[in-house]
Amino acid sequence: MNAFLAVLWKDLLCEWRSRDRLVAMLVFSALVVVVFHFALPGGAGAQTRANAPGLLWVATVFAALLGLGRAFAIELENDALAGLALAPVERGWIFLGKWAANVVILALVQGVPSLVFAIVFEVDLLPVLWPFAGISLLGSVGLCAIGTLAAAVAVRTRFRELLLPLLVLPLLWPVLSGAVRGTAELLEAGSLSFEPVQLLLVTDATYLILSFLTFEYVLDE
Amino acid sequence: MIRTSGTALLVIASLWAWAVFEAPVDAMQGSIQKILYVHVPCAIGAYLGFLTTALCGALYLRSSDARYDRAAISAAEVGVVFCSLNIASGPIWARGTWGHWWTWDPRLTVTLLLWFVYLAYLLLRAFTDGSERSARFAAVYGLLGAAAIPLNYFAIQLFGGAAMHPENLRRGSLGEGMGLPFALGMVAAAAAFLHLLLLRIDLEGRRAELARALADARDQ
Amino acid sequence: MSAPAIAAHGLEKRFGWAVALAGVDLVVPPGAALAVLGPNGAGKSTLLRLLAGLARPSAGSVEIDGLRAQGREARAKVGLIGHETFLYPALTARENLVFAGRLHDVPDPGPRADRLLAEAGLSGVADRPVGGFSRGMAQRVAIARGLVHDPPVVLLDEPFTGLDRRSASRLSERLGALRSERRTFLLATHDLASALRLVDSAIVLARGRIAHRSEPGALDLESLDAALAAADAP
Repeated sequence: MNAFLAVLWKDLLCEWRSRDRLVAMLVFSALVVVVFHFALPGGAGAQTRANAPGLLWVATVFAALLGLGRAFAIELENDALAGLALAPVERGWIFLGKWAANVVILALVQGVPSLVFAIVFEVDLLPVLWPFAGISLLGSVGLCAIGTLAAAVAVRTRFRELLLPLLVLPLLWPVLSGAVRGTAELLEAGSLSFEPVQLLLVTDATYLILSFLTFEYVLDE
Repeated sequence: MIRTSGTALLVIASLWAWAVFEAPVDAMQGSIQKILYVHVPCAIGAYLGFLTTALCGALYLRSSDARYDRAAISAAEVGVVFCSLNIASGPIWARGTWGHWWTWDPRLTVTLLLWFVYLAYLLLRAFTDGSERSARFAAVYGLLGAAAIPLNYFAIQLFGGAAMHPENLRRGSLGEGMGLPFALGMVAAAAAFLHLLLLRIDLEGRRAELARALADARDQ
Repeated sequence: MSAPAIAAHGLEKRFGWAVALAGVDLVVPPGAALAVLGPNGAGKSTLLRLLAGLARPSAGSVEIDGLRAQGREARAKVGLIGHETFLYPALTARENLVFAGRLHDVPDPGPRADRLLAEAGLSGVADRPVGGFSRGMAQRVAIARGLVHDPPVVLLDEPFTGLDRRSASRLSERLGALRSERRTFLLATHDLASALRLVDSAIVLARGRIAHRSEPGALDLESLDAALAAADAP
């Protein structure tokens, strides 16, 4: 537990000092949303608005992948990763610390593309703000779970920037399904049914538990 | 062991081929329907393959015994072939019966996702330096990939989705005389998977022996 | 009789086709100081990292104080000071030590960090980011980091690399102090002369095996030199 809090604190502190991940992810995700708007014919037409939740989540995934790669790149300097591996704790707690830091950073970032999205696609988020934030959080939890594990693996291979999306995307469908579906329901009907939440909860729990248990083997040399 | 499985495969495959040939031509879909006798059994190979990969990976993590890792990579390579055949044969049938090549039918989507997971698994192995690290990372990813399969099915169940996939595996809806080739197809696929797996494991074992011999020779 | 501080039996480590360690048997009693000598590629770093629990052996076993080296309890007893410093450049020296302390379950990491920094003569720069430190200063923080949890076994991997004369003599003093604290320590190094002043026994590694062991209690410079020369030869 100590190790979890220590790693979380350390990651957030390092990020606060440099803020490079945060800025890059913010700018990138906002840009992607705007680009989608221009790239799709018909602007804010009904068809586009139906697809909008999917687009928002694609932008989120791209931004997350950017940030996740950086999260472990900082551990490569001075072989800090070995420093973590030396800790006399269940290594799953180190995974959780990094995962939690990633969720916090992603959550901070998500505000901006959501805002741009609401403006550009003419969607009114205010009445459903809290459930929307809830679904976003659940989606981010799952995304960061696979992402953190995959990043820890990818950082010690060749072509790590290429391998990270390759590893993450095939596993992402249940998370995206639930998140996009949930967001779409909120925007269309103003209310959320249980199914997307259920899917996200089960998926998040599964990926978190599996990653926690297998992280032991990821940190070995 | 290989000879036994090879012989068994030969026998079962011959029976299957005969059954497919003798099976009645579907009234509505025409003879292209017979490609289903390949398409469906290949799914068996694809899923068996990944489950074997994941299981052997888990056993490797626990024991660090390289033999489990050899089985895992073999199952992945054989499984991806079955998966590719399944995905390739689906559209051929769909084009022949409904006129379009691809639909985002849930079952087909899930198998496509499995194919991507296979690909990611194989690329991960290729890009990781060091056989021990490669084996370990692949085993971890295999477990995650295996967990994704039931999660994907859960997602389909919750959200329905265009059920264009013919539910022809239930006994009632199968036409006259189609039960036998299907059943034989499943068995043939399992037999083919097993035989190819054993062949591949054997090959991998020989590679390891060779590498060991080379390393020892360099040491002297 | 208490367990030896370090015990390795038939230790092997392969990376793919390359053999880093080809069967090492080693027993180090508590409180001993051992130099691990040998040319580059002999397996010194690999040996130390296996002892620290960072990697699993391909064959054989390694134990710290009777416990499996890969386990958590063993890792709590070992301090590794490696080639790299394990420090985060964006964090200050104090923050780095507090983080390491928390990772290692040290009860009061703040005061402990302050004390270690004072011992290393770095109190003045405690609140400066480590990224700006010279090699010598970073090395001192790295040593403090390795000792933050007061480990009975200390492993040092080529600590003299890249140090100027003053830093090197400072390091020797520090190690001498460690020695008198009755910790078990292993020093992997090229620098035969500095090593011999600090240890009471030595082994020479060559191509993954122990090519020469010094007699207990008798460090013979000549035979060690000869063994090293032989190890260096192709």
